[in-house]
Amino acid sequence: MEKDNILEVKDLHIDIKMMEGTLTPVRGVNFEIKRGETLGLVGESGCGKSITCKSILAINDKKCYPHGEIMFRNEDDSEVDILKMDPKGKEIRNIRGKQISMIFQEPMVAFSPMYTIGNQINECTLLHITKDKKKAKEISMEVMRKVGIANVEKRYNQYPHEFSGGMLQRALIAMALVCNPKLLIADEPTTALDVTIQAQILELMKELQKEFNMAILFITHDLGVVARMCDRVAVMYLGKVVETGDSKTIYANPQHPYTRGLMGSVHKIGGRKDERLFSIEGTVPLAMNLPKQCGFYDRCDARIEGLCDKAEPELVETEPGHKIACFACNNPACQKHRQEVEARLKEEEARGPVEEGGKKRGKR
Amino acid sequence: MEKDNILEVKHLHKRFTSKNVTVKAVTDVSFSVREGETIGIVGESGCGKTTLGRCIVRAYDASEGEVMYRTEAGEELDFLKVDKKKMKSIRKEIQMIFQDPYSSLDPRMTVLDIIKEPLKANFPKMPTSEMDQMAKEMAEKVGLNPAYLMRYPHAFSGGQRQRIGIARALVLKPKIIVCDEAVSALDVSIQAQVINLLKDLQKEMKLTYIFISHDLSVVEHISDRVGVMYLGKMVEYGETEQIFTRPKHPYTEALMSAVPVADPNYIQERIPLMGEIPNPANPPSGCYFHTRCRYCDQKCSELTPEYKQFEPGHFAACIRAEELKLKGFDYSEMNS
Repeated sequence: MEKDNILEVKDLHIDIKMMEGTLTPVRGVNFEIKRGETLGLVGESGCGKSITCKSILAINDKKCYPHGEIMFRNEDDSEVDILKMDPKGKEIRNIRGKQISMIFQEPMVAFSPMYTIGNQINECTLLHITKDKKKAKEISMEVMRKVGIANVEKRYNQYPHEFSGGMLQRALIAMALVCNPKLLIADEPTTALDVTIQAQILELMKELQKEFNMAILFITHDLGVVARMCDRVAVMYLGKVVETGDSKTIYANPQHPYTRGLMGSVHKIGGRKDERLFSIEGTVPLAMNLPKQCGFYDRCDARIEGLCDKAEPELVETEPGHKIACFACNNPACQKHRQEVEARLKEEEARGPVEEGGKKRGKR
Repeated sequence: MEKDNILEVKHLHKRFTSKNVTVKAVTDVSFSVREGETIGIVGESGCGKTTLGRCIVRAYDASEGEVMYRTEAGEELDFLKVDKKKMKSIRKEIQMIFQDPYSSLDPRMTVLDIIKEPLKANFPKMPTSEMDQMAKEMAEKVGLNPAYLMRYPHAFSGGQRQRIGIARALVLKPKIIVCDEAVSALDVSIQAQVINLLKDLQKEMKLTYIFISHDLSVVEHISDRVGVMYLGKMVEYGETEQIFTRPKHPYTEALMSAVPVADPNYIQERIPLMGEIPNPANPPSGCYFHTRCRYCDQKCSELTPEYKQFEPGHFAACIRAEELKLKGFDYSEMNS
């Protein structure tokens, strides 16, 4: 692990065993988060954003089988692999909620309607910070004040249904921040909110990030929100990161055909009205029994027949910090990768179909 | 009614009463719609956008006011006064597309039946073969493969389901379509497909859209004119460019400043909106917005602002509109 990084996800795969076969929503995800930065994870629904984040906290469904590595820098600066931990064990409990915490998409669903807001925030405080109930209440109230909830004494004893959506999201942020985590995972925290409330919440998160010096992993499909919030962006498609880099670089010069499509499909205010929005044809395929080809092949407008449908491109670094997984991109690094793969394919072809058949049989 | 207008909404009110509480969901809304244009209606949730849309298709009966409509035959009717029989014939010309493509389609009907249903209801004597033919044509027009029409909605993705909803609305060849958050539940790339489709169909079939949405960038793209609603009132109405570049109402200004722009280099000055939207059962006195307005002064809490015209076609309801210099988007800056 590099010194600045607090989290490194390496070659993460997730399998879900189902009646119909094995679903692979995540097929080799790589990214890292540095201390105090915001990484945006962008992609359409079903591309594996949320499930990736759940495996960082080891709160996946029982049927999910993640493999790969999720390295996290622990309190004492040691490096631990979250995937190797028992999801119910002591080790992960020391991390989950304390060092890494999460804000969920729908604040109305994330809270239990049966307990008061204060009670639910206190749960975390009592577990991780102090056993003294009086002290815990003070700490919880302090955090509630920090996230901008007015009249805390009264609000502390109210139930979730007495809060509005925006206020509830603030309470959820308070719950996530009460232990002063090093990494905050925000899974579409503002999707269910109005624009005006969204702007308030985003600003609040930015302020708190500065104050607590925490890193944020921000999952969203709203490119406007990413532009406002994130230092770096990772674009996901069909369980893989296809492009990652500085948000300024990616917005100014998106390279991967999917990223370009995604940027083109957002209307820019002040843009020309008669212009059609760019739309990516087709839909995301189901991540089951995928052929060995680029996941975006069927919808891509720059695909190369005979190459993109035979091999999957890997992430290569084109300039410092900017990585792309595409054969068709016109830059030296991608082209070099393309030539390598082409050579490999040729070699395999020359060796004849025998080995390929043998391979297949072996797999079965 | 003016000559170009197809629809004129005048002083529309809608109140919901339960036991002893009256909620004014829509208060005194007036605007006009020209034939073939798209009107965007924006505002926060709970501001009465959907109720307004439903009053226009007469899914709700408005409490007060007029909705003047020019029928295809050229008659001018107040839609809220016509009887049931007449209403049925007018309904053919005004259809609706719903927000959630997952709950607005009956899971137990095939797609063909779903698209055919409006025909069955309105032309009971039409032969089935003709209905099938029309449904198939419409399916093709919205980009659905006619071979899949015998399937059930669960077999389709969100974008395709929304296309089914559009086909169902269009099969009667309506003139006005009320799109209630028609693209909000879709992913960005699918959203672009559906918006393009709606625009193409508008050109082809000379449709008039009333496009209700909370997504301002989508509204800016699709609309010719925009109405901004707050707490049941229309606070501003005008050409899209007027609203986005030269807002006259402080609420519009705040709303514009909250729109996330997909460009990390664009620096936005955000105008904070204090607090939350007040309870519509108990609205504030005077200007409804004064509790959250940063320009509010003494008069604002006492006087109810008049809904006035400031430039040709640009209406706003703010007492201080003339003295304030409000900031909108600078189009030239955004394109550089």
